[in-house]
Amino acid sequence: MKFKAFLTNHGVSLLERRFIPAFEKIGKSCHLYLTPEHVILLHNVLNSNGVQAVAQFKKEALFEDYRISSQNEDRIAFTIDLALFARALRSSISMDGDKLQVKLVKKRAVAVERAMPYLSLESMGHRTAVVQDVPISNPLSRTDVHELQTALDMAQDLPRTLVQVPDLHLLQNLANRLKNVGEILEIGITQYGDFHLHISTSLVTIGSEFRKLRVLGVRADGGVLDGAVSASARLEQALQRGEASAVQVSMKHFVKSLQCQLTKPDTSFYGIGQNDSSLTMIFQFFVPGSRQMDDSISLHYRLPVLDPGLS
Amino acid sequence: MADDRGEGLELMCLLDSVQGLVDALTCIRWKRHQDAICELSEHGVVIMVEEWSCLQARVYFRKELFRTYVYQADVRPRFGVSLGLLVDSLSTFTSSTGTAALELQYPGPDMQLLLKSIDANETCMYAEIRTRIPDTIPRDFSTDEDNASSPQSFAVKSAALKEAIDDLEWPGSSVKISLCPEPPSVIFRAEGHGDLQIDFLYNAQADLFITFQCSHPTSHNYKYKFLKATTSNIPAHILKDNRGSKVTVSNTGLLKVQHLIPVRLAPAQQQIDPSANQQQSRVSYIEFYVLPEEENDPEMP
Repeated sequence: MKFKAFLTNHGVSLLERRFIPAFEKIGKSCHLYLTPEHVILLHNVLNSNGVQAVAQFKKEALFEDYRISSQNEDRIAFTIDLALFARALRSSISMDGDKLQVKLVKKRAVAVERAMPYLSLESMGHRTAVVQDVPISNPLSRTDVHELQTALDMAQDLPRTLVQVPDLHLLQNLANRLKNVGEILEIGITQYGDFHLHISTSLVTIGSEFRKLRVLGVRADGGVLDGAVSASARLEQALQRGEASAVQVSMKHFVKSLQCQLTKPDTSFYGIGQNDSSLTMIFQFFVPGSRQMDDSISLHYRLPVLDPGLS
Repeated sequence: MADDRGEGLELMCLLDSVQGLVDALTCIRWKRHQDAICELSEHGVVIMVEEWSCLQARVYFRKELFRTYVYQADVRPRFGVSLGLLVDSLSTFTSSTGTAALELQYPGPDMQLLLKSIDANETCMYAEIRTRIPDTIPRDFSTDEDNASSPQSFAVKSAALKEAIDDLEWPGSSVKISLCPEPPSVIFRAEGHGDLQIDFLYNAQADLFITFQCSHPTSHNYKYKFLKATTSNIPAHILKDNRGSKVTVSNTGLLKVQHLIPVRLAPAQQQIDPSANQQQSRVSYIEFYVLPEEENDPEMP
């Protein structure tokens, strides 16, 4: 099992400034999954009760001179502490050299019997070199890697309808205020491009409706709806016509997931998975300085649904 | 607004500056669960909270602060609502950056308070807040009509008053407030674990005072926790504005603390509405009434 590659400056800043801070907001550690073509950060994909996040990079987006080999089809996965990883990346920036080598090593610390695995970052300056070893878990077993891969493959199943949500800052502002009112958030997405957030408790119902958003996938003409009725009645009509889905998610999860804006996505789409299984958020990034989609980076989040079968 | 939906509504109004209402209500929110009583009238909206029947706060939101204010009830409607919920719900409406006004209606089909706003790109926000029938009628406190002699009062910068009251926390539970005509001064004295005295001297600190009116020496004791409630929840950005706070003491020792809270329009709305230049008039009044401690006050009803 071997891995050795050089992180590019762009790769360092992508990870250190954007993706690791966003992932740190949902948990302390994540899986780092390396394949011959991709580098993938996965958070919480092996259990289904929290916010799941997956960021996939083509190897060229982060690395150059990328070499990997293992007996499991040249795939390696392990868990890594995000704070330590970020710290190592950050201090590598202060070196004036331009090469940051990353490799997997096993080292024997003084007091410990067995050699422990590390992700070793070696920044080479003009005169000095700094080596930082970030402790990682033992490489995942063949079955666990298979599970990660299955989770990744499942993510290819897109919700049938996706709507492009407005400004994430706005949504975050709204969610931060709504979280004081209730703990369970109902999210509705219609094929007309309407996006509903709704809280209902014994004392208050409160919500927000964003209308006529861009729709990807299955869409319908919203003209059939009565424009004069209230937002929640409109959603109810759409649900009855089978042209909408609504699920309940934990407010806490939703607020956490909005930290994804730290990755600075250019567009964000929300959709409800088939059979109302989850709330899926898909983020796209543009090639810097253009409005063209950068297909070397993909990011999606998935929130568990509180009571599937409801609605 | 003049469509048939208006039928049966006792109040229907449009408010531009939701933040102003949130700020005002935040000032009287001294704990997590508080029941407020809301009274609607042809003059505007009054929201009251009362506690231990010796502390009461009122927010006056006059009808001039609304863009439109349509009141049509024979008897002034009065309903109870959870203050925390009202503030949290209202502040949700401040999250949108749009210039949409908040539409308030009462009562809904189930006696709810209905809030709604729709902005230009058809983003809609709505809330229905459950109300209840109030089980008590808030006490009517007044500092002016109890006696022929004029009440003692002073007004200082809000931040200075808050700072003084904050500083009085450590010594203990009771604070004596004395007004003295010669030399003109206000003395706060707290005794308990230790003692601390804070003097506001009119002659030495002229820039501190806005007004000072005192004909004879008075002094009364107040529970610190009540006194603290009168200033501790003013939002920081309102304090920075530093309008005056007026403190009045009646002959019976009833303490009234009055704050002015600016109700600003968002900058974008000021451009639209030239009449909004009259910022002076755009304030809401907040009043706190604190009863003195028993021993000084044998005549209380």
